[in-house]
Amino acid sequence: MLVPYMLRRLLAAIPVFIGVTLVTFLVMHFTAGSFIPGLDLNPGLKPQDIARIRDNLGLDRPLYVQYATWLWGILHLDFGRSLIDGTTVTSHIFDRLPNTLELTSTAILLGVLISIPLGVAGAVRRGSKLDHAMTVLSVGGFAVPQFWLGLVLILMFSVQFHAWGLPWLPSSGAYSAFDGGDLLDRLTHLVLPATVLSFFYLSQWSRYIRSSLVEALSLDYVRTARAKGMGERRVVYVHALRNAIMPLITLIGLELPALVSGGLIVEVVFGWPGIGRLAYERALQYDYTTVMGTTTFAALLVVLGNLVADLLYAVADPRIRYL
Amino acid sequence: MSSAPLLEVRDLHTQFPTRDGVVNAVDGVSFQLQPHETLGIVGESGSGKSVTVLSVMRLLQPPGRITGGQVLYRGRDLTRISEPEMREIRGQEIAMIFQDPMTSLNPVYRAGWQVGEPLRLHRGLDLRRSLQEAVGMFRKVGIPEPEERVRAYPHELSGGMRQRAMIAMGLTTAPSVLIADEPTTALDVTIQAQILELLKHVRATFGTATVLITHNLGVVAGMCERVLVMYAGRVVEEGPTDEVFSSPKHPYTWSLLRSLPRLDSDERKPLRPIEGMPPDATSLPSGCAFHPRCPFAVDRCLSEAPALEPLGSGRLAACWVTQSGKDLNQAEETLG
Amino acid sequence: MIDQPVADLQLAEVERPSPRGRGKPRPYVSESWLRLRENRFGTAAGLLILALAVVAAAAPLLSGLVTHHDPTRQDLAAQFLPPGRAGYLLGADELGRDTLTRLIYGARVSLGIGFLTVAIMLTVGSLVGLSAGHYGGVVDGLLMRLVDVVLAFPAVFLYILMAMLFRPSVVTLSVIIASVAWANIARLVRGEVLTLANRDFMLATRSLGAGNARLMFRHLLPNALPVLIVAASLYVGQVILIEAALDFLGLGIQEPTASWGNMLSNSQVYFVHSAWLVVLPGLCIFVTVLATNIFGNAVRDAFDPRLRLK
Repeated sequence: MLVPYMLRRLLAAIPVFIGVTLVTFLVMHFTAGSFIPGLDLNPGLKPQDIARIRDNLGLDRPLYVQYATWLWGILHLDFGRSLIDGTTVTSHIFDRLPNTLELTSTAILLGVLISIPLGVAGAVRRGSKLDHAMTVLSVGGFAVPQFWLGLVLILMFSVQFHAWGLPWLPSSGAYSAFDGGDLLDRLTHLVLPATVLSFFYLSQWSRYIRSSLVEALSLDYVRTARAKGMGERRVVYVHALRNAIMPLITLIGLELPALVSGGLIVEVVFGWPGIGRLAYERALQYDYTTVMGTTTFAALLVVLGNLVADLLYAVADPRIRYL
Repeated sequence: MSSAPLLEVRDLHTQFPTRDGVVNAVDGVSFQLQPHETLGIVGESGSGKSVTVLSVMRLLQPPGRITGGQVLYRGRDLTRISEPEMREIRGQEIAMIFQDPMTSLNPVYRAGWQVGEPLRLHRGLDLRRSLQEAVGMFRKVGIPEPEERVRAYPHELSGGMRQRAMIAMGLTTAPSVLIADEPTTALDVTIQAQILELLKHVRATFGTATVLITHNLGVVAGMCERVLVMYAGRVVEEGPTDEVFSSPKHPYTWSLLRSLPRLDSDERKPLRPIEGMPPDATSLPSGCAFHPRCPFAVDRCLSEAPALEPLGSGRLAACWVTQSGKDLNQAEETLG
Repeated sequence: MIDQPVADLQLAEVERPSPRGRGKPRPYVSESWLRLRENRFGTAAGLLILALAVVAAAAPLLSGLVTHHDPTRQDLAAQFLPPGRAGYLLGADELGRDTLTRLIYGARVSLGIGFLTVAIMLTVGSLVGLSAGHYGGVVDGLLMRLVDVVLAFPAVFLYILMAMLFRPSVVTLSVIIASVAWANIARLVRGEVLTLANRDFMLATRSLGAGNARLMFRHLLPNALPVLIVAASLYVGQVILIEAALDFLGLGIQEPTASWGNMLSNSQVYFVHSAWLVVLPGLCIFVTVLATNIFGNAVRDAFDPRLRLK
């Protein structure tokens, strides 16, 4: 049941994969006309560098050959080279990817760990102050600009706390440049950015769980469970929640593809050395190839993320395996 | 009545406050259930039959609540005991099965796991033992290949098998009372017959007292020794099934029977559907709630609501007309 | 034989009893409208957005008559004036420019991009979604694959890329953001179309000989409108957030044009002594997006067909 379903999903993902690589290829090709002349003006590049770049990009060969080369490269995890310094995009990606994953997965984890109890509390105690606070949080959370929240938190917990002599949280980087790198150091650096990133998840997910649970609790099988003489706690946590969690799995699944790319703004605001920040830095330097390579990588990870999400749904809900 | 009743409901009142007013879903209902007896409760949607048994089980969801009366099980008033004590009774002494097994079973857990759950809850069995018991119960309710079926999810079972599984679930703890709320309504006609056979078989094997709720008179006729007829939250007639059906003592029962096509009826006589609509629960008619639709109504019916009175040989009815001795079957002639 | 032209097939009016249950049934749209007006928060939010739009549109008027400041005129004598000083209601920034005026002009940018982007998104997305859902088959397959590909790209990356390639202005930013976001609308509309396509009124219309375009635009589209309206209200807020983020990152609207995003990025270093320069633009964004969200939710609740049968 599960395996054929996953194979079908895999098959459906292939055209998207091709499409992504095709789009990035075409964009690069058509902008090549705009950045190659610019290269000539770059004082940092010697003529042999330019020639090497031209050769690397295979600009003199027919279109389909260029695409095939590009595709081939991707299948070998070669996402091109930087226009600025010729370093491979892949090396940058592998440098930065763990940091990004560290940030986004922590944010998702935080989001799940906090929103489930909040959502359950809201559903079980409807109309209470907690419930109303959650409503406010969820409506508000949707409207808060991530970069602004990050800024405010930095200004409060890094700058102000420092000024007031309180223990303060670091505001940039994944770990301290000097003396750093141990677990505590990394954790303190992780706190602020992960909080900002998880804030949005929190506000929405707790609301979703609440309404999903409220709905589940009104369904027939909950009545059956109660009729069997079980305590309300078991009714909620074993019978209702298991079903109510489904939308959350869907929501987490929706975030999975963004595992690599979702943290871009937070990475930039907090100077977090991740993939998003890489793309941003390089964009400022007009390093098109690195940006495109990174984007392609991120997009392919989205496709992969969708597949993983599909797998999760099928595991969670046995009814899905027939689709 | 020889032995003490197993279950006795006395003047039960259950209300639901709504935006448009208070609904007296159960408005002074009383009845008794003897051990091993099968009692049928019939009525239209909205008559209060489901709410009555949900009140007995104390499964009402707020804002509905019991506002009066008693529910005596083996002498204990269930409306007064604590929730933990009630939970001991639910699923173990009094079990309930519901109308639609597709929605009444949890879709994400396997059938055997759910069926064995009451045993784990009340008898402290471990998972393995409870599953073994579930296999046994499946066999007893006639589910073929029970070892495989217990591992199936509800959506993988057919409608009939799901209902059998529900019945199995109700019976695992060998309760004294089984309440079945419209157990066949959601099923195909052929499966309905099978399930009814199963219920009869179960009754014979386990000796469980059964309360069968349905709007289908045919089901009642086939299964129940006694029947309660409910209308607008009240019991309007009660008695042994065959007597009630052959000689109804309430115009509502009478009208129900007349509106059904029967093999033995005269084909030349037209069917008589019941005129009018079921009453609006927030604004019931004055006097007898049935009077706007009653072919026999007299002046008194508009102003005074009749009480449920015994009419001899275990029969009760709440009707001014029949209490004065009129026979509805004969009165039919005068209606034309 | 019919010798008179068959009358135009009217849209199936969904008639339901009015909320009170009595009186004559009202058509779907006007009942939804009534329901929307009854929602106090939603109405308040809607009015707020309207007010903001008016303010934004009237920015030059306001700056001339009310605040007497030009959003780009520098006056170093007025540097870092706190709010409340004469002539500088909300204070002045690092170059002595009046904050209030800049905020008003910033509203212009944000709302302008918000509405323009959503307009483009809705147009392109609806067309694609309608066609895919209606024609089905190969057309559907191709279009939806395209949608999948577009949605596979992390939007932010694409925005950065495109901001690199094209000089950002209100129009280009709108196009950039819309070029990715349309895909969501396409999916949405296609979903609606698929549920509608099997309804009886479609069958009836088709059997009267209605052509594809007519079916799509006169019948499918109006029935998909409620969903579109809700999506539009919610997306305006999202677009404003995206645009502000891009401005903040320096990839959007550039100085000296005022936008809430770039006001924030300019002022971060001055937080310690001029906190209002950081708080105010952020607050503006927050309130605007909040209003669009509340309004969007209110619209969704008002137009929800499931709530009809009260």
